Amino acid sequence: MKFDVIIIGGGWAGCTEAEKLAEAGSKVCVISEGLSLASVRYETPYSRHAGLQKAGVTVLRGDRAERGIIEDGKVTGVITRNLGEGEPLTADRYVLATGKFFSRGLLSDKEHIWEPVFGADVDYDPDRTKWFSQDFEADQPFMKFGVKTDAKGHVLVDGKSIVNLTAVGDICNE
Amino acid sequence: MSAKEYDVIIVGGGVTGAATVRDCALRGLSTLLIERGDICDGASGRNHGLLHSGARYAVTDREGAEECIRENRILRRIASNCVEQTEGLFISLPEDGLDYQANFIKKCREAGISAEAIDPKEALRMEPAINPNIIGAVKVPDASVDPFRLVDAHILDAQRHGADILKFTAVTELVKEGGRVVGVKTSKGDIIRAREVVLAAGIWTAGLAQAAGVKIGMMPSKGALIIYGHRVAKMVINRCRKPANADILVPGDVVSVLGTTSDKVPVETCDDMHATPEEVNLLMREGEQLVPCLAQTRIIRAYAGVRPLVVADPAGDGRNVSRGIVLLDHETRDGIPGLITITGGKLTTARLMAEMATDLICEKLGSSARCETANKPLPGSEGRVPRFKDPFNMRAAIGRHGTEVSRMDFVKGGEILCECEHVTRAEIAYAVKQFGVRNISDLRRHTRIGMGTCQGSYCIQKVAEALAEELGDSSRAGEFVREYLQERWKGMTPVLWGDTLREAEYMHKVYKNEI
Repeated sequence: MKFDVIIIGGGWAGCTEAEKLAEAGSKVCVISEGLSLASVRYETPYSRHAGLQKAGVTVLRGDRAERGIIEDGKVTGVITRNLGEGEPLTADRYVLATGKFFSRGLLSDKEHIWEPVFGADVDYDPDRTKWFSQDFEADQPFMKFGVKTDAKGHVLVDGKSIVNLTAVGDICNE
Repeated sequence: MSAKEYDVIIVGGGVTGAATVRDCALRGLSTLLIERGDICDGASGRNHGLLHSGARYAVTDREGAEECIRENRILRRIASNCVEQTEGLFISLPEDGLDYQANFIKKCREAGISAEAIDPKEALRMEPAINPNIIGAVKVPDASVDPFRLVDAHILDAQRHGADILKFTAVTELVKEGGRVVGVKTSKGDIIRAREVVLAAGIWTAGLAQAAGVKIGMMPSKGALIIYGHRVAKMVINRCRKPANADILVPGDVVSVLGTTSDKVPVETCDDMHATPEEVNLLMREGEQLVPCLAQTRIIRAYAGVRPLVVADPAGDGRNVSRGIVLLDHETRDGIPGLITITGGKLTTARLMAEMATDLICEKLGSSARCETANKPLPGSEGRVPRFKDPFNMRAAIGRHGTEVSRMDFVKGGEILCECEHVTRAEIAYAVKQFGVRNISDLRRHTRIGMGTCQGSYCIQKVAEALAEELGDSSRAGEFVREYLQERWKGMTPVLWGDTLREAEYMHKVYKNEI
């Protein structure tokens, strides 16, 4: 099945983007694992998912984008956990809206922070002691980490712009 | 100026001071304990929570090992609600060889510690999480002990036998008259007199003694530890080799504690102990040798404490310095009567340290009272726990506080506030009443609030509101939340990656706009 836009992440930012695109008449698919931090505070994404479905958006609830396929500087498909390797989802355009650490949009170990779906370039300090401020109430550097984009908003992978991939919400760096 | 003269003043409210004030009170001496912070706020609350069988010391320190096994048996009896009888395993990895194990078993048995060699396959069946490459295992009677509860129980018993406890009051100097120590001056400006003053302030003892003209060579030895968010093993897991870094994993309540390191640190740093990222790296590297799944287990906190080792040889890293009990009679040692120091030792041997100190005090005061602490159960372990009709919400409280639950009001306070550890409102009210809790940090030491898997992330708002109400000032709840989060943050930052970083983002999103 081919979409105009696939949005990876069905939290606050992904839903907002999907609503906008659906209203403009695009054929949209949202892949939502269901881990959304903004919804802890505000509104469960499920109530918004129902609205999206009414507006004709395909919402894959409980599914997760495992891996993006990139060929010649473009995303050509996304493999999801439930559909598997044999059935990649394809679209003209892809939007990364997977959030930061809580929702596993960014993964980390002692030395690294990475974006697991596309391997997008992440803006962070390699020195772990610089990831935080000792004062809990101060601005925390890790809250500003995110994927790098070029001037047009295209996500960078290995320093190269991916022309049909953008990012919205917490996954973006500041 | 206080009119009352005590028989004994004890300086320091860690496990050593608490055990000593209890012993003195049971022997009928009028006793005051002075602590600059809260009870169990120093090294006594910053350790493994390991009740040593003595096996760890059997090869290098026979006397220490014998003391441990004796005290281990006593504490299982008198502090049953503080001790979890987990038993312990000493495992040998291929690089350790089995020569050490053979000698280890022999030395354990010589010290009276049961040490049973177990087939590696059987050991893996007992503890599936340990390194599957083990070539040997020995079972010993190690156990897990809650240091906070143990110290609290001593303090309660002392108070119930007439002792006074003065918290949040520092001793600023020792008062001398004609060369004799006759009392102490406190941070509140009072002078309190006593016939004997006992220094039991751990690493902070040396400074006090020095001001009175007594030199005690002490060497602060820092030990860093990591708390993992699950119990990955049922037993205490040790490495069967010469004692080294990060070779003990202790299960306690719902978590596991890995440690420790041993590094000489300047005395000035002892007031602000925290684990560094380098220490965390080292602990993790070594700990994963012991129990490989620790690499994937969520770390909830890293912290550090400081051992009050007494210098025999100022060189070295602290592991070879005496960890034995040091009792100093400053009358015979330095010509200063009225002053005694009790230090060194271990959490496991605190009762014995207290007995030795109190024997000396009684000798000085001309009392013939005998030590009873080895036979009298502590509060919480006194007989049978009362039965409740509906014990579900009290089950954890009963496990923690034993017979003390009869002093808690579960009709009014049956609500469970901390869901990880099932801490009830009744326990908060009890802690406020019995221990003079002033804030959340105090509350953590006297209940297990916020010490479980969620580390307070879900419950702290509720807990703060309940505490503020118990203290009679609801407006303070916000201040409590802020204080708690900063303290939690200190424990998280050294391990801020993976799931801990996920939790950090959650905490910031949920609480930051609220505070």
